[in-house]
Amino acid sequence: MSAPAAPAAAGPAPARMAAAPSVTGVFVRLKLSLLRNGLRVSRGRTVGWCIGVTFALLYALANGAGLIALRHNEHAPAASVTVAVVLGVGWAVVPLFFFGGDDTLDPTRLTMLPLRPRPLLTALMVSSLVGVGPLVTSLIVAGAVTSVAYGAAAAVVAVPAGVLVVAFCVALSRAVAAANTRLLTSRKGRDLALLSGLFVAVGAQLANLGAQSLSDSDGLDRADSAGHVLRWIPPATAVDAVRSTGRGAYGLAVLQLAMTAAAVALVLWWWHRSLVRLMVSPDASTIAAASESAAGGRARRGSRLRLRLRLPEGRTGTVMQRQFRYMWRDPRAKAALATGLAVGLLLPLIAVVQHGSVYQCLWAAGLLGVQMYNQFGTDGSAFWVVASATADRRDAELELRGRALSVAVVALPYVTVVTVGAAVLLGQVGSLAETLGLAYAFLGALLAVGCLASVRFPYAVPRDNPFANAAPGQSGLVVLNVIGGTLTGAALCLPVLGPVLALHLTGHHGLLWLALPAGAIYGAALAALAVRFTAPRLLDRLPEILATVRASS
Amino acid sequence: MAEESQETGRRDALPSYGDFRDGGAIGARPEGPVPAVRVRGLWKQFGEQAAVAGVDLDLPAGRFIGLVGPNGAGKTTTLSMVTGLLRPDDGQVQINGHDVWADPVAVKSRIGVLPEGLRLFERLSGRELLAYTGRLRGLPGAEVDKRAAQLLDVLDLTGSQHKLVVDYSTGMRKKIGLAAALLHNPEVLFLDEPFEGVDPVSAQVIRGVLERFTAGGGTVVFSSHVMELVESLCDWVAVMAAGRIVARGPLAEVRGDASTLQDAFLSLVGADRVGGQDLDWLGGDSR
Repeated sequence: MSAPAAPAAAGPAPARMAAAPSVTGVFVRLKLSLLRNGLRVSRGRTVGWCIGVTFALLYALANGAGLIALRHNEHAPAASVTVAVVLGVGWAVVPLFFFGGDDTLDPTRLTMLPLRPRPLLTALMVSSLVGVGPLVTSLIVAGAVTSVAYGAAAAVVAVPAGVLVVAFCVALSRAVAAANTRLLTSRKGRDLALLSGLFVAVGAQLANLGAQSLSDSDGLDRADSAGHVLRWIPPATAVDAVRSTGRGAYGLAVLQLAMTAAAVALVLWWWHRSLVRLMVSPDASTIAAASESAAGGRARRGSRLRLRLRLPEGRTGTVMQRQFRYMWRDPRAKAALATGLAVGLLLPLIAVVQHGSVYQCLWAAGLLGVQMYNQFGTDGSAFWVVASATADRRDAELELRGRALSVAVVALPYVTVVTVGAAVLLGQVGSLAETLGLAYAFLGALLAVGCLASVRFPYAVPRDNPFANAAPGQSGLVVLNVIGGTLTGAALCLPVLGPVLALHLTGHHGLLWLALPAGAIYGAALAALAVRFTAPRLLDRLPEILATVRASS
Repeated sequence: MAEESQETGRRDALPSYGDFRDGGAIGARPEGPVPAVRVRGLWKQFGEQAAVAGVDLDLPAGRFIGLVGPNGAGKTTTLSMVTGLLRPDDGQVQINGHDVWADPVAVKSRIGVLPEGLRLFERLSGRELLAYTGRLRGLPGAEVDKRAAQLLDVLDLTGSQHKLVVDYSTGMRKKIGLAAALLHNPEVLFLDEPFEGVDPVSAQVIRGVLERFTAGGGTVVFSSHVMELVESLCDWVAVMAAGRIVARGPLAEVRGDASTLQDAFLSLVGADRVGGQDLDWLGGDSR
C-alpha cells in the first residue's frame, strides 16, 4: 500500500496522523477486540475456548516444568534445543492450517488503509505477541532456557535469548502467512487447508513413531547427536547461547545470539517484502484459475464419458455420478473418504503387525459405512436443488438409492480386498468367510442407518472452518447422528453375529462359511429396505432438512 | 379433469377477495382465469419476529412481475415458501391452481427457481451442473444436453462451460442458475434478486432471456429492491414492507401520480427521502 497511499497521505493527512493514536496501539486493541468478540458468539464457544486455553496453559506449564526438571541432566541441552526447533517449525506451519481462524493474519484486509509498511510491520508484530499462542510459547521457552542456564551470566543472557526465540517464532509465523496469503485466500488454498487434516493425522502417526524410537534405550543418545546439529538452527541458537555462556564460551554465545538476531531480521525482511507486494499488487488468483480451466475441462470431459458408460440410467445414475465427482473434487468429501480409507486400512494393518484378530477388518466396513450418515449435510445449501427436484416418493427413493450405491460401490470392493488381504497375511484364512459375512452385514446395517440418520438427524457442515464438524448449536444433532447411528448399526448386526457366536460356542466350525452368504444377503436387504422405507420421510422433511443443512452457508 | 374439480372445491374454501388495501383490486377474480400464483394468509415467524405476516396475493399469468421491498421486507421468505423450499407456519400457496404442499408433483415440474443465498452444486462445471439438474428432473439425457448447449450459448457461458461453478463470477453464477431453472421449461419462474451483483452485460443477457420467456407465455416473478430495474422490466408489481403486501397491481396503477416507482415506493413504505441533514461537515472544507 505504500506507493499508492503516498499521494493520498501527502495532503492534509500528516497533521491528522500526528494527533492520531499510534498504529501499534490500535492493532493491539483490535486483536483484543477480535479475541473478545470471538468469545461473544455463543456460550458453548466461550466454554470451549476456556477449556482449550486451560489445557494449553497446563500443557505449556508441564512442558516448561519438565524442562526445568531436566536441569543437571546430561540430556538437557539436546532437549532444550529440540524444543526450540519444534516450536519454530510449529509456528511456521500453523498459519498454513489455521489461516481462516485468525482475521489478523490476512494483511490484504488492510490494503485500503493509508498505512506505511514499517509502522504496519511493528504494529502487526506487537499485536501478534498478544494471545494465548505466544503465552504458551513463552512458558515453554522459559523452561528451555532455565534448564541450560548455569551461573549469573547465563541467567542474564537467558532473558534476551528467550525474547529472541519468541520473537523469531511469531515473526516466522507472520512471514509465512504473508507469503502464502494469496494461496491461502484463494479457493485452491482453502481446499488444501481442508485436506490438511489428513496431513495432521499422518504427521501425528509419524510423531508417535518418533517418540517410540526415542523411548528405546539408545534413543536419547541419538537425540543428543541430533542436538549437536539442531543447536545451530535458529531459534535453537539462542537457547544454546545460554548454555555456552554458562560454560564460559562467551564468544560462542555472542555468535549464537547474533545468529538468532540475524535470523529474526531476515524473517522480518521477508515479511516486509511480502507485505509490500501484497498491499500494492492486485489479486490474480482467479486469472490463473481461468487459464487452467481449459485444460482441466478437456480432461474432465474424458472422465465423464468413461463414468457414464458404467452407471445406471435415470436418477440413480445421475445422483451417483455427482456423488463420485464430489468424492474427488470436494475437499471435504475427499478428506472424509480418504480418512475412512486410510484408517480402514491402518487398523487391520496394525492387527497384522501385532498378530491380532482378522475381526479388526470390521473397522474398514465401519469407517466406510459412516460415510452415509450425513448425506444431505455435505450438500449444504445446494440441497435446495435436490429438494426442488424431488416431487414424489419415487424421486426420494432414487435419490437415497443413488447415494447408498455410490458409498457401496467404493466400500464393497475395499472391504473385500482389505479383509482377504488381512486374513491371508494373518494366516487366518479359515476365519475369512465369517469375517467377510459380518463385514457385509455391518456395512449394510450402517448404510441402512445412514439413510435414516441423513433424513432424520441431518446437521450442517461448516464451510469456512475445516476443523469444525458441525455448525454452532448443532453438536447435539451430530451426537444423535453418529453415536446413535453406530450403536443402532451394531445392534442391527446381531442377527448375523449371534448365530456366528453360537456356531463358535457349540463347535460347529464347519458351518461358519454360511455367515458369508447370510451376511451379504442380510446387509443388502437391510440397505434396500431402509432406502425404501426412508424415502417417504425424506419427501416429508425436504424443507426441514434444507433449513438445517443450510445453516452454515 | 380431476385437477379442475379439485381446484373449484378449494376455491370455495378460500377466503374472499376483500382484503385489498391501497394497491387497487386488480388481479384475477375467482371467476377469471386461474392466476399463476395464488397466496392466501401466508405466515412465517422466526422466533419473535414475523418475517411474513399474512400475505394474500394473486399474480396474473403471462406477466413480468416484480416483488419489490426494502431489505428485510420478507421477499426471500415469501418466495421460499411459494416455491416449496420453506414450510410456512400458516397459509396456502397455489401455482396454476395446484397446491404447493399438497400436490408437489404438479407444482415442482411447473416452476423454475433461482434462489438467493443458496449455493448450487459448485464442484460441477457449468455444463455438468445443467446435465445433472436436467436428469434429476427426469428429462431424457439427449434432450438435456441439447437444451443445455443452447442455454449456455444464449447466456454467453459456452466459453466457461467446463470451468467449475465454484470459480464462476457472481454474474456467471446467476446465469448458470437461470439456465438450470429454465432447463425443464417451467410455466412460472421465480427469481430472487436475479440482478444483484451482476454486471450490466450479464444483466442485459438475463433480461433478454426473461423477456423471451414471458413472450412465450411464461410468468416471471422476481424480487428486487432496485426500483429503476423493476420499473423498466415489469408490467405488474407487488410492493412488500414489514412482511406484508402494501400495494399490488399493474405498474402504472401502483405508481399512481408519483413521477417514478421509487417515489411511489418510498411513500408507500413511509420512508423519508430527505436525509443527511446532520452531516453538514461532509464535502465541506473542514477535513
